[in-house]
Amino acid sequence: MGLFETAAAKALASSGVFLFMTVLLIAAAKRTSTCIALFSVQSLVITAQIVAASGMHHLREGFAIAALVLIVKVIAIPYALHRIVEELKVPRDVSSSTSSSQSVFIAAGLILLSFFAVRPYAGVLGGDQAMLAASVALVLTGGFLMISRKKALMQVVGLLVLDNGIFLAALTTTFGMPLVIEIGIVFDLLMGVFLMGLFVFRIRDTFNHADVSKMRRLRG
Amino acid sequence: MTLAMNVVQVLLLILMAPLVRGVIARLKARIQNRRGASVWRPYSDLLKLFRKEDLVPPSASFVFRLAPIVVFTATLVVAAFVPLLHGSALLNATGDFVLLVYLLALGRFFLMLGAMDGGSSFGGMGASREALVSTLAEAPFLLALMSVAIAAHTSSIAGMVRWTMGQNFFQFSAVHALAFVAMALVSIAETGRMPVDNPTTHLELTMIHEAMVLEYSGPSLALIEWASGIKLTVVMALLIALFAPWGMASSLSPLAIAIASLVLLLKMTALVVALALVESSVAKLRMYLVPDFLGVASALAILAVVFTALMR
Repeated sequence: MGLFETAAAKALASSGVFLFMTVLLIAAAKRTSTCIALFSVQSLVITAQIVAASGMHHLREGFAIAALVLIVKVIAIPYALHRIVEELKVPRDVSSSTSSSQSVFIAAGLILLSFFAVRPYAGVLGGDQAMLAASVALVLTGGFLMISRKKALMQVVGLLVLDNGIFLAALTTTFGMPLVIEIGIVFDLLMGVFLMGLFVFRIRDTFNHADVSKMRRLRG
Repeated sequence: MTLAMNVVQVLLLILMAPLVRGVIARLKARIQNRRGASVWRPYSDLLKLFRKEDLVPPSASFVFRLAPIVVFTATLVVAAFVPLLHGSALLNATGDFVLLVYLLALGRFFLMLGAMDGGSSFGGMGASREALVSTLAEAPFLLALMSVAIAAHTSSIAGMVRWTMGQNFFQFSAVHALAFVAMALVSIAETGRMPVDNPTTHLELTMIHEAMVLEYSGPSLALIEWASGIKLTVVMALLIALFAPWGMASSLSPLAIAIASLVLLLKMTALVVALALVESSVAKLRMYLVPDFLGVASALAILAVVFTALMR
């Protein structure tokens, strides 16, 4: 067993832990920029996992997908979001409707929930149980972030975390989707982030804030 | 031989404590672009205080004089629990992690009593704040230690350290990661460091530890300051021993001990640098946000305990 295989096996075995930590830290974070940085770290963990998985199973495509994820999710999207935060010039906190300890308690509860949710399927799907649970937990916490954070930009971060969860679920159950589909998804996401960014600017210019909880009149 | 080594460990923890504080103060000064005092300054401070007169407020009772002695003794006994250079400690078989947590609590309790006995309004304020912080910090501290204890199937600190030493370095377990973060957050509250309490101020209305020791002077103050220095060093040593004990001596040969000392020095330096960086870069929390801070630690600690069952 070579050095790469050992490192890859360790990366696969321990990346679940890192993903849980990033989820809990995003729930605890008080600033939008911290959340964006943590999303970047989370994507980096997933990139390492793709490299490890494709190295173990000798998949050429995997490395291309990993490079794509690295460029788009670890560098481009976080950079764009950081720029948006700087340009927006609104208060930098996430203005959550739950306190950070409540958010961490809820995120911890969601992690436990996802463990019990994947327990019946872990044997059938053949993936690592912790990995599957991590992907479900990412989806759930992404949704929770979108609901509880009032800043329009945090909805984007929540969506990105959710997307990371779906990506991870595909990776753990079927070693990822074909390259063409993967490229499509990633660029879709990139366009989505830019559109949402523009949208946040429009909200700020029209209402003088970026707080979605104050947009009551939009109700149908 | 093992006994001698264990005594050396305790002495090292006690004598190293002022130096750790001095190094942190010096590093923080350098980060803030000041030159800062010598790293040996806490030793001369202690020496100076021990030579001075002990002033007692006229309204104070015997508790005021007793408190510093109890605080110092309790911290001293805690120091005898923590393995430093090899996987064993002086009070190995005598007590477990619960005793360690509550010995620290005993010290804090007497410090609060002494502060209230002094009769100044600052003492009472500091004591009530300390009571709030320590009540909230107790549960995550105990739970984080408990999760490691469950994973290691032993309740003795040295036993947990030996078990972790036997684990694979790269096999990050979720239990350890969560317990480590919870412990790190708790130790900040426990030792009165930056986001929770500012150790360098006597002027803020929000001070906790400094408000409690305001009435103390001379040898009593020296004992309290030394005890809080030992507490900081012991908590740092505990973090190292529980979560990164690799490099500790497995045999008592001079070479193994020398390597263990060197590794310990490196780890301590890393932790001290991290602490100085954190303390220089974060602002002190408002008092009402401290429960939130410790709530995060509680959530992580509870999750760590649940994970011991899930990850089996």
